[in-house]
Amino acid sequence: MKVLMIIPAYNEAENIAAVIRHLAAEAPEVDYVVVNDCSKDSTAAVCKENGFHLISLPINLGIGGGVQTGYLYALEKGYDIAVQFDGDGQHDAAYIKDLIAPIESGQADVVIGSRFVENKGFQSSAARRFGIRFLSGLIKLLCGVRVRDVTSGMRAVNRGMIEKFAQNYAQDYPEPEAILFSALAHARIMEVPVQMRERQGGTSSINLVRSMYYMVKVSIALMVARVSMRGECG
Amino acid sequence: MSWMLRVILVLTSVMTCFWILRKIRKSQVRIEDSVFWLLFSLGLILLSLFPQLASWAANLIGVVSPVNFVFLSIIFVLMLKLFLLSIKTSQQEHKLQSFVQNYAIREKEKEDFHKMETGGGAGRPY
Repeated sequence: MKVLMIIPAYNEAENIAAVIRHLAAEAPEVDYVVVNDCSKDSTAAVCKENGFHLISLPINLGIGGGVQTGYLYALEKGYDIAVQFDGDGQHDAAYIKDLIAPIESGQADVVIGSRFVENKGFQSSAARRFGIRFLSGLIKLLCGVRVRDVTSGMRAVNRGMIEKFAQNYAQDYPEPEAILFSALAHARIMEVPVQMRERQGGTSSINLVRSMYYMVKVSIALMVARVSMRGECG
Repeated sequence: MSWMLRVILVLTSVMTCFWILRKIRKSQVRIEDSVFWLLFSLGLILLSLFPQLASWAANLIGVVSPVNFVFLSIIFVLMLKLFLLSIKTSQQEHKLQSFVQNYAIREKEKEDFHKMETGGGAGRPY
């Protein structure tokens, strides 16, 4: 099956080359595309110098718009599986085959790379883990599906979900909402254990001060999404 | 209502109406978008010319003071307008986003095509 890695990158000039090289070494059989979300640093220049596959957005769309661009590309180019993979070095390409396997065998439509199945590797701060647990509970409440690592940006989806995400993808903090969306669309969601690293350079786009606001906003967004999707997905 | 206040109200609403008309003409606002503001400013003129209208309507729905009725209805109308505007910006953002995404993908295709033509490696340039 044709697999496309979607690698959103915003101000990742320090990390992106290492991420792609690592990817090429670990998973040479998959295609990839870096979606540069109008970075202010030299991300685009680094990608061009190295000859990486690059889609460069002319204006900043935010993480949701960036990832969706990848899904649109995957849809147009006829990929069977799309894998989201962060451009900041948090994700380990060694797990790509684990993410893809359940989709190839037809066991699942959406596969989430989860830190909390085996609780190994970088686990994030206690406060953030609490937040993730809360969102996980909320999603369980809203659609009856339990996903532990709802904010994981490492995930694989099949062709059917590529089509859905290309049409409609949450914008601001899309990870939890995309899970809810998938569940309401009756996708079979599976978590596989992965280990993540701490960011290797630069700063995370979500700092701790904004976390409370993030929680409130995401919770409301999830509830609104639940209500407004009822008609479509039943 | 004092005679002075009425004159001020009438003058202000008429001037507002003219100002809106002029702005609409100069800034080439689409007619659909200007209809609301024309009606709104006409309403203001009507209210200032015939304040009995406000008293009558206030009486009708049981609001004690006509002024409160005027505030209530204007705030309500503006709130609806603001909400519609919010929907519109949202839609525009969505359209802009689709456009940007498609543009970026076309750009990539163009580049890939160019690379192939110049033989710069049709393979996988890791």
